[in-house]
Amino acid sequence: MNSQPAGKYLVVIPAYNEEASLPQAVARLQALPADYELLIINDGSTDLTSEVSHELAATSRLPLHVVDLPMNGGIGVAVQTGYLFAADSQRYDYVIQYDADGQHDAEAITALVEACDRRDLDICIGSRFLMRPPGAFRSTFQRRVGIRFLAWLIGLLGRVKVTDPTSGFRCAGPRAWTAFAQQYPDDYPEPESLYWCVRNGLRVGEIPVVMYERTGGTSSIGPLRATYYILKVTLAILVDRLRRKEDPLS
Amino acid sequence: MNAETMMMIGGISAFVLTVYWVRSRGLRERYAIAWLLVAVLLLLCGLFPHVIMRLADATRLSYPSVVLFLSLAAIYFYSFFVSVSLSRQYRRNVRLMQETAILKQRVQALRGEVDRLTGRAPDAELD
Repeated sequence: MNSQPAGKYLVVIPAYNEEASLPQAVARLQALPADYELLIINDGSTDLTSEVSHELAATSRLPLHVVDLPMNGGIGVAVQTGYLFAADSQRYDYVIQYDADGQHDAEAITALVEACDRRDLDICIGSRFLMRPPGAFRSTFQRRVGIRFLAWLIGLLGRVKVTDPTSGFRCAGPRAWTAFAQQYPDDYPEPESLYWCVRNGLRVGEIPVVMYERTGGTSSIGPLRATYYILKVTLAILVDRLRRKEDPLS
Repeated sequence: MNAETMMMIGGISAFVLTVYWVRSRGLRERYAIAWLLVAVLLLLCGLFPHVIMRLADATRLSYPSVVLFLSLAAIYFYSFFVSVSLSRQYRRNVRLMQETAILKQRVQALRGEVDRLTGRAPDAELD
C-alpha cells in the first residue's frame, strides 16, 4: 500500500458500525483513477468496522488509509478528522466526502472534482434533486420537507440556490477543507458548513447525482431525530449569521 | 438558629471547603475564586442582614423570596458557566482524540514501511 504513488485526491469515508456495507462501498471506489486515495474514519464503531477496514486496506488497489477514532464522536467529528488528515498530509487538492453505507454513486466522484476544477468551486455538492432517474432512491416525506426548508433558509440568507444542503456527498477544495479542518460542526454538519462557505465568500455549486438505497447498517437519523435536526441546524445557521465574517484564506 | 446564623455557618463552611479542595489540588484556583466569593457573600449576608432586608423592601418582596431569588441567580450563572466550560472541554477532547487517532495511523504506516524495507515480519517487535 505505502509503495504506491501519492494521490492528489482524498476520498474520506466516515464509518460507524458499517461492517456490512464497507466492502461494497470500497469495491465501488476501486474504479477511480490512480491519483485518488481512500481514507476510512472508523468513528469508534462497536462492530467489526475497524477489522474490516484494515483487511480492505491490505487488498485495496488504491492507497487506503484507516484512522480509528478511539470513541464515537459523531459524523461531524469523523469527517473533520478526514480534513485534519488532509491538512496534516499537505498534498491533496480536493477532499471528497463519501458515505460508507453505499448510497453514493462512486462514478460521480470524478464529476464532482471536475466540476470544482472547471467552475472554480470551493465546494461542490452532489445533489439528489437535480436529476431523478426512474427507480432512484427517494427519502421520506418528512425528510424531503426538512431538506426543502433548509435549502430555502440557506438560499434566503446566503442569496444562493442550493437544492440538497443535507447531502453528505461533496467535494471540498483547499480553501474549504483547510477551514473545515479548523472548525466544523459536531453533528448534522452539512447544511451549517455549507452556509458557512456561502457566507464567507467561498464558491458553492451542485451537480446532479443518483442516490441508492443503503446496502447495510442503519441510518444515523431516525424519524424522531429529524425534528431535532431541523431545529438544531436552523439555530446554528441563524447564529452563524450573527458571527463576524471570516477570511478562509487567513 | 436564625437565618443569619445559618448564613454565617454556611459561609464559613464554604470558605473552609474551598480552601481544603484547593490545598489538595482537587480544585483549580481559577474556579476557587468564584467559590470563595460565594462564601464571602454568604458570610456578609449573615453579618449584615439589613442589606437583604433593604433589598426586600426595595423590590417589594419578602425576605425569604429575596434570599431564594439571589440563590437561584447564583445557581443559574454558575450552571451556565459550567455548560460553557463543558463545551470548551468537549472541543478540546475531540481535537485530542482526532490528533491521537491520526498519529496512531501515521505510526502504523511508518511501522509497516520499516517492516517492508527491513523485510521484517509485520507483527515482529521493533527494537
